Amino acid sequence: MKTKTIEYNDLVVRQFLIASVFWALVAMLIGVLIASQLAFHVLNFDTSWLTFGRLRPLHTNAAIFAFVGNMIFCGVYHSTQRLVRTRLASDFLSHLHFWGWQLIIVGAAITLPLGLSRGKEYAELIWPLNIGVVFIWVVFAINFFWTLAIRNEKSLYVAIWFYIATIITVAMLYITNHLQIPTSLLHSYPIFGGVQDALVQWWYGHNAVAFFLTTPILGIMYYYMPKAAERPVYSYRLSIVHFWSLVFVYIWAGPHHLLNTALPEWLQTLGMIFSVMLWAPSWGGMLNGLLTLRGAWNKVRTDPVLKFFAAGVTFYGMATFEGPLMAIRSVNAVSHYSDWTVGHVHGGTLGWNSFMAAGMFYWLAPRLWNTKLFSTKLADIHFWLGMLGILLYIASMWVSGITQGLMLNAVTPEGALAYPNFLEVVNSTQAMLRMRILGGVLFLVGMVLMAYNLYRTIRSGHPAVASIEVQVPEEPPKESLTLLGGFLNPPVIYSFLLVIFGAGWGFAQGMLSTISLVLLVETALIAMIHMGVSGQKWSEWYDKLLESWLPFTVLTFLAVAAGGMIQILPTVFIKQTAGADAPLQKVYTPLELAGRDIYVREGCYNCHSQMIRSLVGDVLRYGKSGRLTESVYDFPYQWGSKRTGPDLQRVGGKYPNIWHFQHMMDPRSTSIGSVMPNYPWLYTQVTDIPALSSKIRVLTSYGVPFPPRSPADIRQSCIDQGQRITEDLASGGIKISPDKEIIALIAYLQQLGKYDDPTAAPAASAAPDISAAPANQKQAKSH
Amino acid sequence: MNKNTKHHDPEALRNHSYDGIQEYDKKLPNWWLFTLYGAMVFAAGYWAYYEWTGHMLPGYESVEQKVAEFQKNMNANGAAPTDAKLCEMSNDPAVVASGEKIYVTNCLACHGADLKGGIGQNLVDATWLHGGTPTDIYNTVSTGVAAKGMPTWGPVLGASRVAEVVAFLISKNSTIERTAP
Repeated sequence: MKTKTIEYNDLVVRQFLIASVFWALVAMLIGVLIASQLAFHVLNFDTSWLTFGRLRPLHTNAAIFAFVGNMIFCGVYHSTQRLVRTRLASDFLSHLHFWGWQLIIVGAAITLPLGLSRGKEYAELIWPLNIGVVFIWVVFAINFFWTLAIRNEKSLYVAIWFYIATIITVAMLYITNHLQIPTSLLHSYPIFGGVQDALVQWWYGHNAVAFFLTTPILGIMYYYMPKAAERPVYSYRLSIVHFWSLVFVYIWAGPHHLLNTALPEWLQTLGMIFSVMLWAPSWGGMLNGLLTLRGAWNKVRTDPVLKFFAAGVTFYGMATFEGPLMAIRSVNAVSHYSDWTVGHVHGGTLGWNSFMAAGMFYWLAPRLWNTKLFSTKLADIHFWLGMLGILLYIASMWVSGITQGLMLNAVTPEGALAYPNFLEVVNSTQAMLRMRILGGVLFLVGMVLMAYNLYRTIRSGHPAVASIEVQVPEEPPKESLTLLGGFLNPPVIYSFLLVIFGAGWGFAQGMLSTISLVLLVETALIAMIHMGVSGQKWSEWYDKLLESWLPFTVLTFLAVAAGGMIQILPTVFIKQTAGADAPLQKVYTPLELAGRDIYVREGCYNCHSQMIRSLVGDVLRYGKSGRLTESVYDFPYQWGSKRTGPDLQRVGGKYPNIWHFQHMMDPRSTSIGSVMPNYPWLYTQVTDIPALSSKIRVLTSYGVPFPPRSPADIRQSCIDQGQRITEDLASGGIKISPDKEIIALIAYLQQLGKYDDPTAAPAASAAPDISAAPANQKQAKSH
Repeated sequence: MNKNTKHHDPEALRNHSYDGIQEYDKKLPNWWLFTLYGAMVFAAGYWAYYEWTGHMLPGYESVEQKVAEFQKNMNANGAAPTDAKLCEMSNDPAVVASGEKIYVTNCLACHGADLKGGIGQNLVDATWLHGGTPTDIYNTVSTGVAAKGMPTWGPVLGASRVAEVVAFLISKNSTIERTAP
C-alpha cells in the first residue's frame, strides 16, 4: 500500500454546470414563446423559422438534451469521482465530451428552426448530428467506465448503479431509434415505418423520460440529498429492490403512448399493465429520498438546497403516480392527445428535473468555487416563484386537457358529436392557455434569479482544487466476481427463470401456458424458501456484485433489454403480410412524397395526429378508425401525440383544394378562431424535385413498391399532378405555378386516408411482400 | 436479505460509507410492498381476463358497430325528415335561430356570412347542383359531396342539427319550393 494524493477533475464539472444553466434559460425562453404562440397565433410572425412546428422540437430537445443533459454530466462527473475516489480517467475525453456536446446543441439550435428534422419526437435531429450524439455518448461511456475500472473505492454506491443503467440504456434506445439511411447530406428516412416506427419511437420516447430524465437524476438524488441533509440514506434494501424493479419494468411501458390506436391489442395491454406496475418501483425512489430527510426536516425550512430537493422528489412522486393513471386505457381515452399530457410532462421536467437541478447547483456552486452562496434569500424567492409557476402550469393544463378530452369525446343522446366543431374546443381552453404562459414566465423568472445568484456566487470565489488522499495497493485490485460469477448464482438464476416462466404463462397457449404457470409459482416458492435459508449468502453475493462493475453492467443491460426484445422483435422480424381484407395504404406519388416531407419539415405532427382511435368520438368526428396497414409506407410514421388541431388521417378529399390553399395561407379564413400559424413561404418556395430520386431509391430499398421511374419520369409525374391541382385552383380564380411547395403539400393532404380496397380491385390487392408490413392484430397474436 | 430481518436493528447503519454517505437498511414499508404486489396481481389478472377469456378490448369492430347503430337509430326515430317537416321547421324562429348558430360555426367559412358562397356554393340562389327540395338539401348536407370537398356532416352534427341547419337555409332562400304540411 502506498498513499497517493488525487486531485479531482472539477473543471469539467464547472463547465457542465454553467452550460446547463445557460441552456436551461434558452430552453425555457423558447418554451414561453411557443406557449404564447398557442394562445396568440400572430407570435409565429409568418416566419418559417419562428413557427411553432419548428420551435417546439427545439424546446423539447433543448430542455432534455441541453439543459438536463449538461446537468446530468455535471452531477455524474462530480459525484462519481468522489464515490469511487479517483480522478476522471481521461482529461482529454472529458474535454471532448463537454465541447462535443455543446457543438451538437449548437447544431441542433441551427438545424431545427431551419426545418431539418427527422419528424420523430425528441429524435428530430438529423443524421449527421445523430452520429455526433452517439460518438459523444460513447466518449462519455468510456470515460465513465474507465473511471470505474481504476477506482479506489471497491464497492459501487447506489448512485453509480443508476448512472450505469442510464449510460447503457440510453445508448441502446438512441441507436435503435436512429437507425436510418440518408438520402442526402441533411435528410434521411428511418428504417422503421408505420406501426414499427410508432412502437420503436415510443419505446425510445418513453424511456428517454425513464433513462435520461429519471434514472440519472435518481442517482444524483442519492448522492446530493444525503450530502445536503447530512443524514444516512433511509434504506439500502429499498435501493436494491426499487433499482432492479425500476429498470426492468420501465422499458415495457412505451406502448401506453399508443393506447386505443391501431397498435396490436396485446401490446397495448402490456404497455398498460407494466405502466401500472411501475408505480411502486418509482415510489420506492421517492420514499428513499424523502425518508432520508427524517431528522433533517427542520433544515428544509432554512436551506434552499433541501427545499428544492424535497419539492423535486415530491413532484417525482406525483408525476409517477399520474403516469400509471394516464396509462389506463379508459383514462387515456380522455387524456391522450390533450393538454393533460403536456401538464404531466412538465410536472416531471419543471417539478422534478429543474428543481433537482436547482438544488444541486445551489449546493455545488459554493463548493466548486470555494465560496458561499451569494444570496439564500434570492434562492428562496426562486423556489417560491418556481413552485407557483409549476402549480399554475400543471393546474391549467389539467383543466384544459380534461376539458378537451371530455368535449371531444362527448356524444349526444341522439348519437352525434356534442361539439362538432373542433375549434369550439380549442377556443374553450384559451383562458387556460394564457394561465399556462403565466406559469411558465414565473418559472423562467425564477431560473433567471438562479442564474444571477450563481453568477454572483462564482464571481465571489475562485475555482476550488479538491483532492483526497487514498491508499493505493501496489497491485491493481481484482474485481470480486468474474462475469460468470455474476450470473451463476441463485438470485440471478431465479430472476431469469421467473421472467421466462412469466413470459411462458403470458404468451404461450394451452398446456404450455399452464405448465409455465405451475413452474412460475413453484420457482417463486422455492426462491422464497431459499432466500429464507440463504438470505445472508445472497446478500454477500450482492455485496460482491457491487465490487464488480462489468458483471453489474451486463446484468443491468439484460434487465433493460428484456422488455424491448419481447415487445419489438415480434413486429420487426416476423415476416408478415397484411390480412386479405385489410385496407392497404396507397404508395405515394413523387409529388405527394415531396409534400409529405414538407409536412414533416414544418413539424405538423406537433399539433396534428394521423391516427383515428377506436373510440366513438374519434370515429364520428374523423371517420373509420385507423388500421395498421394504412401506414405501412410511412417513414417516419406520423401518428402524432397531440391534437392542438384535428386529426388528419382521413382529411384527404374532405375539403376542396382551394380550401387547403386558403387555409395554409391564412387558417382563419376557413377556420374561424384557429390558432394555426400562417405558412406564406410555402407559396414562394419551390418543391425540391431533384431530391426525390434518392429519396425514392431509399424507400424502395425498404420495400415500398414504387414503380420504377427515371429522374425525368419523376419530374414529369410531379409536373402533371401539380398541374391538375393548379387547374382546379384556377377554376376558383387562383393562379399559382405547379412547382410551388403548397401544391405538393395539397397533393399530400388530399391523399391522406386513401387506400386500396383489396375487396374491390383484385389487381391492387397484392399483399405487401415486405418484412416491414405489420400484421393485423389477430395474426400477431393468436390466442 | 430477508433472513436478517428477524434480528434486524432498524437504526443500524451499514458498515460502509461512500464519501461520507452512510446507509440504513430499514425494512420496506408494508404499504409500499402492498402497492408493489397489488399492481402485479392486478396486471396478471388484467392480462388473463382480456387475453384469454374472450373479453376482447373494445377494438375498432365494436366501435364501428356502435357508430352504425347510432345511425340506424337516428333514421328509425324518424329523424330523417320529410319536405313538409323541414318547411314547417323553417317557420319556427327558435329552430331557425339554432340552425343559424350551427351554420355560423360549421358552414360559414366556405359558404359565406351572406350565404352567397366562396369555397362552397351559393345557397341563396336558385341553382342546386345536388337537388333543390328540402330533403335533397338535407341529404346533401348529411352525406356530403366527396367529389367537391363537401364534408359528410351527418355523423358529426347528427340528424336533428342537420335538419335545423337546413331549416335555416330554407328560411333564407325564397326559391325553395315550400310544401305545406
